[in-house]
Amino acid sequence: MKSLVKFFKHLFTPHPTNGYRSKIIHHDMLTGYLVFALFLTFAINHLQTKNGSILGYATDITANKLFHLTNQEREKDGLEMLTYSVKLQEAAQKKAENMFLNDYWSHYGPNGETPWQYILSTGYQYEYAGENLAKNFLFSDGVVRAWMNSPTHKENILRKDYTEVGFAVVDGVLNGEETTLVVQMFAKPLYASVTKTVEHQSGDPVLYAKGETQSITQEANKGSFYSLFVNINVIFFIILISALALDFYFASKLNLIHLKGKNLIHILFLGTLTIGIIFIIQGTII
Amino acid sequence: MHIIKHSIKEFQKHLFDYLLFVTACVIFILTVSIFRGERLMEYLAVATFVLFYICWGIYHHIVDNTLRFRIVFEYILFGAIGLFLLKIIIIP
Repeated sequence: MKSLVKFFKHLFTPHPTNGYRSKIIHHDMLTGYLVFALFLTFAINHLQTKNGSILGYATDITANKLFHLTNQEREKDGLEMLTYSVKLQEAAQKKAENMFLNDYWSHYGPNGETPWQYILSTGYQYEYAGENLAKNFLFSDGVVRAWMNSPTHKENILRKDYTEVGFAVVDGVLNGEETTLVVQMFAKPLYASVTKTVEHQSGDPVLYAKGETQSITQEANKGSFYSLFVNINVIFFIILISALALDFYFASKLNLIHLKGKNLIHILFLGTLTIGIIFIIQGTII
Repeated sequence: MHIIKHSIKEFQKHLFDYLLFVTACVIFILTVSIFRGERLMEYLAVATFVLFYICWGIYHHIVDNTLRFRIVFEYILFGAIGLFLLKIIIIP
């Protein structure tokens, strides 16, 4: 126990054993972190090249999670749960592919394409239909949270007229930038007997159409690597900040004079980057 | 409290430098907030902020007459760690 305390003191506080500078922020340790960060960068690049996917690794968004989160929001509001439609998923997939193909980020395509035509093209006849879009989010809950924070998207998610939903989570290049698009299509089939639905995911609302449609499917295959990495990153920054703060505290208390960078600025720098991560993991919605 | 006294003394001594850095932090947060979902802009914002942090370190220690290679190296190390770890999040 005593040796463990000694070890932590050596790591986090200025002590004779570490030359009065927390070991965790010594130059050799910092160099070690940098080498590890570089190794991770190259390892991830290598894995992605090998797997042939660029953003498959970069997001943690799954259709299943989106579906559950959307239904959770409806449940909170006392609304009927949506059922997953393979046809709506297919329409969402076509819409996402069209956005990548024609390089646009909008509900309507540059050649006058509407969201409804993708639904109709799958043979889904709808009475009501809606679409929510999101891009470059890293996590499913971030997507649904952003939609719920937007009145128009929230209205789509909580619209009682909808009975079915389908999602597409597609990676590609949009405006020269690697992008993850999330398309959520809602609808109520015109003739319940004509449509075929399947258990699956969720989405959010922005556009409405009254008329006719059909239904859909799709699957997203992301792992939990990314959320784990972001969490480790944040914890790592917090540990570094804590070590700097402790070093600063003891150095002030003991009146230590060191030839070193400013701990306050390092803390401010790392703290700002940590706050930045919160914004970076969020994408945009329309 | 030694730490508070020490911090106040430090702020008073280099008020302009610290205000400059705090302003850069606010600008960085605003930039990544405005360009949410724009990976390239987010990465440029991080890279610019890291570069500013290193330059701030060099400038501050020149003014303070304490510029040494190991100090510059320390800023470069912290900056590079931040840059590469965030790069993996933004553009893996």
